[in-house]
Amino acid sequence: MSDDPRFTPRAKDGRAPDVFRPGAWVPMRQHSDDDEVDFVIVGSGAGGGTLACKLAEHGFSVVALDAGPYWRPLEDFASDEAEQSKLYWTDDRISTGENPLQLGSNNSGKAVGGSTVHFAMVSLRFRPEWFKSRTMLGYGFDWPLDWREMWHYYREVEDALKIAGPITYPWGPPRPRYPYRAHPLNAAAMALARGCEAMGISWTETPIATLSAPRGLAHPCVYRGFCVTGCSTNAKQSALVTWIPRAIAAGAEIRDLAMVGRVETGPDGLATGVHYHREGRWRFQKARNVVVAGYAIETPRLLLNSANARYPDGLANSSGLVGKYLTVQANQAAWGKTEAEVRSYKAPPSLAITEHWNYDDDKDFFGGYCYMSQGPLPQLWANTQLNAHGLWGEPLMSEMQDYNHQVGLKIVGEMMPQERNGVTLAEDKDQYGLPIPRVSYSWCDNDKALIAHSLGFMEKALQAAGAKDIWRQEDDTCHLNGGARMGDDPRSSVVDADCRSWDIRNLWICDGSVFPTVGGVNPSLTIQAIACRTGDRIRQMAASGAL
Amino acid sequence: MTTKQAGMGLLGSLAVGVLGAALLGRGRAAPPVRQRLLDILALPPPVARQVKRLHAPRLGDTPRGPLQRWLGIPPSPAIGRAARVRAARRLNRSAGLLAGSVLLDSALEHYRGSFRNPAMYTPLGVSALSLAASLHGKGDRHSGRHPFRSAIYAAAAVTGILGTGFHLYNIMRRPGGFAWQNLFYGAPLGAPMAISLAGLMGSAAEHVRDDRPGMAPRIFGLPAGRMLAAMSGAGILGTVGEAGLLHFRGAYHNPAMFLPVTMPPAASALLLNTALAPARRNRWITRWWLRLTALLGFAGVGFHAYGVQRNMGGWRNWSQNLLNGPPLPAPPSFTGLALAGLAALDLLEDEPDA
Ligand SMILES: Cc1cc2nc3c(=O)[nH]c(=O)nc-3n(C[C@H](O)[C@H](O)[C@H](O)COP(=O)(O)OP(=O)(O)OC[C@H]3O[C@@H](n4cnc5c(N)ncnc54)[C@H](O)[C@@H]3O)c2cc1C
Ligand code: SF4
Repeated sequence: MSDDPRFTPRAKDGRAPDVFRPGAWVPMRQHSDDDEVDFVIVGSGAGGGTLACKLAEHGFSVVALDAGPYWRPLEDFASDEAEQSKLYWTDDRISTGENPLQLGSNNSGKAVGGSTVHFAMVSLRFRPEWFKSRTMLGYGFDWPLDWREMWHYYREVEDALKIAGPITYPWGPPRPRYPYRAHPLNAAAMALARGCEAMGISWTETPIATLSAPRGLAHPCVYRGFCVTGCSTNAKQSALVTWIPRAIAAGAEIRDLAMVGRVETGPDGLATGVHYHREGRWRFQKARNVVVAGYAIETPRLLLNSANARYPDGLANSSGLVGKYLTVQANQAAWGKTEAEVRSYKAPPSLAITEHWNYDDDKDFFGGYCYMSQGPLPQLWANTQLNAHGLWGEPLMSEMQDYNHQVGLKIVGEMMPQERNGVTLAEDKDQYGLPIPRVSYSWCDNDKALIAHSLGFMEKALQAAGAKDIWRQEDDTCHLNGGARMGDDPRSSVVDADCRSWDIRNLWICDGSVFPTVGGVNPSLTIQAIACRTGDRIRQMAASGAL
Repeated sequence: MTTKQAGMGLLGSLAVGVLGAALLGRGRAAPPVRQRLLDILALPPPVARQVKRLHAPRLGDTPRGPLQRWLGIPPSPAIGRAARVRAARRLNRSAGLLAGSVLLDSALEHYRGSFRNPAMYTPLGVSALSLAASLHGKGDRHSGRHPFRSAIYAAAAVTGILGTGFHLYNIMRRPGGFAWQNLFYGAPLGAPMAISLAGLMGSAAEHVRDDRPGMAPRIFGLPAGRMLAAMSGAGILGTVGEAGLLHFRGAYHNPAMFLPVTMPPAASALLLNTALAPARRNRWITRWWLRLTALLGFAGVGFHAYGVQRNMGGWRNWSQNLLNGPPLPAPPSFTGLALAGLAALDLLEDEPDA
């Protein structure tokens, strides 16, 4: 029990777990709570982990706190869906609205490395126009970022993660060659390709953050397909095995099992540090700057929970937008069966993709979607059958006989940002005594039109690929974004382009919650690119005395 | 297709090879160790070096064939029977190395492909037979071509061409057709040519060995030495292409992966120069570069063994990682071709115009 990383912190006494060697450690610089560190970062996922690395490499003193455990994938991860639910953020939350979100496995993680420890690794760039979707495409909000600058930071992230991708990418402006070559397609991906060829649209290999060749101590992918329950070979280039080891080597400190309850502000209105719970007691870490990177539900929750006399509506909330405009992505699927065995669960789930409908603007709704091949693990598939068709007992057993013949296509679709969707605080308290978040979500007509379009198209594509017994899975969503969006105007955004809050100049927000719109691609590459940019901007500002 | 069937196929092919070897190998004496060592290093014996190479008996010019006349290559004097046999045996050795490399490589790869198509057994059987023929030829000190060996080698040459067709078909019918994805992961387009090369080298061996008194050895109507130099140079280039493609697939993640796309091309250039340039006796750079290339082929096995180790579970998980990791039997193709190049040099140095 005592060495279970879920209950006893591992990163302490001047060392952190070595993620590449069972039972091993790496030395880690350590600060006392009274050290006023340059940056304390709340959350160590795609946003926080990346920023911790960049800031440490730029010479700042950094402490990153994460509520989750510090895993060594090689020894801690089992090939077992039930066991691996230990990676999800399953603390109490209330989910409401017309289309309440299913919170947990498909949208948030709790670990050093954040949700990237169990994410599906799809690593896509935004379509350039999405950074100015209000001006150029007529919906949503403009970002305060320029796509050309983002193109530069996308490159940095792709290289840091050794993304395996196609030689030429069929959509958007040219991009440099991916650092590693694409993986071999599995049968599920081939079905997507055949469907696209029959429908006359382009497809390609999905750029994906798992190794197609060795890298340092990390092994190449073994194509067993346990990706969304954590990868036990370290092929997956999560923040845990990329940014975090780099951050530690550059002098950052990571504290696992450290839940931040509130951000403190001083008499001058500036942030002074964070209260966090670790090893059974509340402690306070002093810091010159506080970065919140807890993802789109926990970030607003923490800011709201940090309300005090000076900031009665929560920190950084003069616009009233903290917790508003939470925007998820549509995740609907079409499924069918083929004569031949597919065994879609072999290999990473989404090896082939089409972004056709992200780049084709001849549609009667706003936004776009991509769709990818799928590979659900057996327990998830049984659950899908239960939820979609109410199968149980004998009928479920007999349906599962066809598991090896299932083939499916699933979208990541752009939902519209709406003010009514968001995070507020509930009365109930969690295990730390903190008010839990209430998450409300409702689809708008545009969301429904996009979903209908995608399902219709994917059905035809599946048919064209030779699938039978096709049906639609209509209710899924994924990827939380927004809730503390960035912008050019303090009245209509929470942070500026540098992820710095308008209200408190030493309080920063650097994670998926800064997205004004979500686009039709998975968000993690963009989150990491923004974090890289923020790290560079902070260095520039420090150099010019603008911090 | 089950593992058991695949295993049976593998055993069957090996049996064919052994049988072939037994049929062909009718009581041959093992050469003395010293001779064998020199042979392995492709060094001519010291005496031969002075006597044979510099004062090779000229038996008078042989008439030029039409192609040779058309290409403007000067008439070739004939060379001695012993020198021919020595060169032929070296070629048998190269063919054998190539065939061995193909046997193991195609066994591994087609096992990985579960022998889905019965035609996938063919290269195993043919390369096993070629290996047997080569071993036999290597031990055979008689001059004159051997009909069985010739037939086997011819079959090998044809198999490679058919195989390339099969592999191309496999690539084209995958989604995307002739695309990087399918060149990387479909049936390897360059691989079947290795068995053709083994067949060609072997056929060349039989041609060279075939002594018609007073005639210089010829292949397809051209002087054998030059022809061989050209063939092995081109073969090396093809193999470079394949290594280049697969190492590109591995994103050249290790700097050593650049070796097979830098060293052998130089060897190939030197060989092509040998084939086309005016006769010259002392080609020591070419000789040494070819020896290095031959060594690289063996060193490659070591590099690939390290590559296997870098997969999940390393060598402890050999049964999977031998299939997952870089192919162990592939690099010795370079050795086989470099040795063929050395044999060509020998022919040319024994008689510059051969
Ligand atoms: C199953 C699944 C599959 C996905 N697949 C993809 C994909 O293929 N491609 C893609 O681009 N994206 C994918 N995503 C989304 C992607 O993982 C997230 O968008 C991304 O990780 C979000 O980054 P973040 O930094 O905002 O938050 P996270 O990465 O979630 O990091 C937040 C961290 O903060 C910690 N934290 C939160 N609150 C506190 C607190 N108060 N105190 C201390 N610590 C706290 C959490 O424990 C967590 O570790 C997937 C997500 C899931 C769940
Ligand atoms: S399929 Fe590859 S990335 Fe996914 S869990 Fe297995 S090794 Fe990791």
